[in-house]
Amino acid sequence: MSSVSVASIQNLTVRYGRFTALDNFSVEVPNGCVGLLGPNGAGKTTLIKTLLGFIDAAAGGGTVFGHDIKKDGRLIRQKIGLMPEQDCHIPGMSAVQFVAFAGELAGMPAAQALRRAHEVLEYCGLGEARYRNVETYSTGMKQRIKLAQALIHGPKLLLLDEPTNGLDPQGREDMLELVRSITHEKELNVIVSSHLLPDIERICDHVIVVVGGKLRTEGLIRDLKKIEGHPCDIELREASPAFVAAIETLGATLLESKGYRYRIQAPGTPDQVSKLAFQAARQTGAQVREFSVAERSLEDAFLEAIR
Amino acid sequence: MSSAPIADLSYRNYDGALESPNKLWWVIARQILRVSLKKRILWVMSFLAGSYFAIMMAIFFFTERMSQSTAPMMTGSNMPAMNPLQQLMDRIIWKDQFVHGISMGQMWFLIMSLVVGVGTIANDNRANALLVYLSKPCDKKDYLLGKWMGVFLTLLIGMSIPSLFFYAYGILSYRDYGFFTGDKLLLFKLLFLLVTNAAIYASLAIGISSLFNQGRLAGATMAAVYFLSNFFTQAMSGAWMAFQDDGNATAKGIVSKLFYGSVDGLNIGLAKSTLATSGSPPFGIPDRMEQVPAPPFLAAFAIIIIVSMLSMLIAWKRVRAVEVVG
Repeated sequence: MSSVSVASIQNLTVRYGRFTALDNFSVEVPNGCVGLLGPNGAGKTTLIKTLLGFIDAAAGGGTVFGHDIKKDGRLIRQKIGLMPEQDCHIPGMSAVQFVAFAGELAGMPAAQALRRAHEVLEYCGLGEARYRNVETYSTGMKQRIKLAQALIHGPKLLLLDEPTNGLDPQGREDMLELVRSITHEKELNVIVSSHLLPDIERICDHVIVVVGGKLRTEGLIRDLKKIEGHPCDIELREASPAFVAAIETLGATLLESKGYRYRIQAPGTPDQVSKLAFQAARQTGAQVREFSVAERSLEDAFLEAIR
Repeated sequence: MSSAPIADLSYRNYDGALESPNKLWWVIARQILRVSLKKRILWVMSFLAGSYFAIMMAIFFFTERMSQSTAPMMTGSNMPAMNPLQQLMDRIIWKDQFVHGISMGQMWFLIMSLVVGVGTIANDNRANALLVYLSKPCDKKDYLLGKWMGVFLTLLIGMSIPSLFFYAYGILSYRDYGFFTGDKLLLFKLLFLLVTNAAIYASLAIGISSLFNQGRLAGATMAAVYFLSNFFTQAMSGAWMAFQDDGNATAKGIVSKLFYGSVDGLNIGLAKSTLATSGSPPFGIPDRMEQVPAPPFLAAFAIIIIVSMLSMLIAWKRVRAVEVVG
């Protein structure tokens, strides 16, 4: 994917009365699947509302696909699909009528909207249930239809607000797979706002962390998970104090030891560290089962960012 | 045999045409029309709203037929022969029939509004449908205009059929009895009345609907507004009858104004003032009682506009795009 930004926010300040929800906020939202993280009240929802053109900023501004968020709300919403957190549907309609109507609302000609409603519902796994009234749907099916109505008009950017809310483990798995296939196989840009870090880690490449209305950190998930100094994890067949002694002799420092798993740090690149580790293993007859560059969990990275 | 689907079921981007988002109100209105016009109850109500016209059409048909075969009554040696049925036909004031028709149709118009309009926003509130509408390129203006137009057009169709059918029947059959010459602008006045009737009911339905999360509660509230104000009108009607022989002009003047202080009263008042008549007893039955005079046209029209605007203002305040997310 190219690195062209989907949205660009510059020095945006949004206030609700005396409360400042976004404070001089600037960010470039890149192409691909981006996770929007932050504690409750951090300003994630305000950022989404602002991207949709619902809120008048007190200062600053921005663009989505080159359209000004202050002036071109309609054009922006024509290029965006929103899957809200809450259950939502238009009462009294079957799934196919509902999704086709959502397409017409986005500006699709009626015949095209109906044809594509069938396609999208099939894709979202509701092909068999598309003639049923949406009010009779289960929670999982309601999540899927929200995704279908967001996808109907072929948006260039999809905003997903807690897409796995209320889903059972299998439903969650299916939804994540669906989102992942849209974003990674079909190259649709997606912004996912969620509190579930494993979900974000599973489907997103990039995260934006918002705290107190300010951008706390942003970047590729793999970069955020990196630990300073490139420590490495080594798993042996069995615990070996001789291996530890040998590798320390070679200049490495033991950071952590859990049974037959060791975390070491040594000067140089991970390649150079791996050479040290295998040299120590040869010297002591230890059998190396796994060697990897150590990284934090996204949760640790997130907690550190919001601290 | 392969178990793979014969069609490509994977996601495909839509690169087809997207129309300009400037007329999305019509998409919403069209959807309401599509759903509402399929409701059988709407047509039943439309038929019932036309019951006065149906009865009058039968009366006129048989009276005219019978008058042709009835021998003239001899009233005196120097007087011309009189045909009582012919006299009845000659006595008919055609525009008054529309006042009665619209007046008697009011309760059915209310039920049409309950069926078609009062759930439009309340049910959307219950189902969080605003999240769908306002996350698309349509805005609050499109949403409210579309909802109003959909309800208005449905009501207009339901309300117009009986009156226009009666007008068509009248103009084709009773031109010799002054149907056209009685008021040459009758059709235009009738259309104006139907439009204002549909507009006030649509506006009230939308305004009340926006206050609730349940269509039933909104319906109960609208019915309560209608019947309570109608009860007031009935009380004024009683007072008017009591003042018939009293002769107290001031009291009669006040009662004649208050008589129109209800939803249907406003519509009846506007019908009378538009058609420039105080009305006559329904079904052509002779009655010596004085009819409540028509209110001033501008006052009646202004009140209808104000009530409609206030209802829509309530809806405007209640629908908020900023609540769409979160």
